[in-house]
Amino acid sequence: MRNLALASVALALAAGCGSVPKPEARIASSEGSIRGAREAGAQSVPQASLYLKLAEEERSKAMALVRSGDYERANYLLMRAEADAELANALAREKAAKQEVEQASERVEKIKGGGTP
Amino acid sequence: MNRRRRTIMIGLALAGASLSACATTALPPPELVEARANYQKAETSAAGRLKPAELHDAKLALDRAEAEQRSSPGEPQVKDLAYVASRKAALAEAQGNAAAAMEEKAKLDAEAAKAQADALAASKKKLEGMEGAVAESKAEATRQKNETEKERTARVAAERKAQDAMEALEKSLAVTREERGMVITLSGSLLFATGKSTLLPGAQNQLNKVADALKTQTERHFVVEGHTDNVGTDDVNQALSQRRADAVRDYLIMHGVAAPSISAVGKGPIQPIADNKTVEGRAMNRRVEIIVQKPEAPSTPQ
Repeated sequence: MRNLALASVALALAAGCGSVPKPEARIASSEGSIRGAREAGAQSVPQASLYLKLAEEERSKAMALVRSGDYERANYLLMRAEADAELANALAREKAAKQEVEQASERVEKIKGGGTP
Repeated sequence: MNRRRRTIMIGLALAGASLSACATTALPPPELVEARANYQKAETSAAGRLKPAELHDAKLALDRAEAEQRSSPGEPQVKDLAYVASRKAALAEAQGNAAAAMEEKAKLDAEAAKAQADALAASKKKLEGMEGAVAESKAEATRQKNETEKERTARVAAERKAQDAMEALEKSLAVTREERGMVITLSGSLLFATGKSTLLPGAQNQLNKVADALKTQTERHFVVEGHTDNVGTDDVNQALSQRRADAVRDYLIMHGVAAPSISAVGKGPIQPIADNKTVEGRAMNRRVEIIVQKPEAPSTPQ
């Protein structure tokens, strides 16, 4: 009886360690983040493309870990991948916003310059 | 002695190594150091004002990494969580910068719209000014046209009046047309008593007619010439003829002939028109001539 209880505790512990569930949600969300960064044009912005590349590498490593059953490490790597992808996305948008500012500034200059020939 | 010392040294080295190993595991990993720095940087960036929620997310991620460092120093997930916190801080900063850029853009767009409106208003005003100038010059042209027409009408009327007046004068007085102009000759004996230069009362009738005619002759110059016969000295005759010419000129001015347009000159006996040997001839030579000069030669004779 006591042995059984111990065995069950041991089982539970073993299960606890191994029972980190497959990080389905993060597998999906990290993929979404990478796609989002691409759509924001992260490949063509140097700084952003670096983080996009990191995200992709981390995600493919994570997927290998998922296949080998190391869900815990996989989960952390997916977190990294997602954070890198989100940052790539934001950097791409920041660059685009700054370009818009430049264009608006040029427009103002043009109007002001053209107004008084 | 030597061996003992070496043993002690090895022991110390081992202890040191183990101590330093302990210290190393207690130190935060470079990922966490970077995360802290990134968060501080983000906090002071535009994100502090424009992206507080994102900055808060970054803070939570950093707190989680710090907690993991405290509870499980040296475990790999400390690095993972610090890595994530680092990216989240950078993310908040990038989003703050983007938001600041959009604010700037909105400001520039407003400025562009205002500049455009100003330019439009300026060109409209310029156009209106040009239209105004065109209208004004048109009005000016019309006014000038009207004026010249009016002037021409007036001039024609004045010329007719002048001609009529001279024609009327020709009927009642001795008027001849000569090279020097139209010459009105008045008999000296009708105007003055002998040797005097005071006009006789009977002279007024004739002189009034002359004044009325001359008044109409605008833009012409008149010369009143006094002439005498050859009785007496030339000096006396010259002076007398001058006084008589002056008297006639003054009378005409008093009766409306413009003073600047009339001059008087005494000729004395030097220009007789008849023979001084006869009484009739001398009577004819005593005369006053009023010359209406031709308009193309208005210079004062002397």
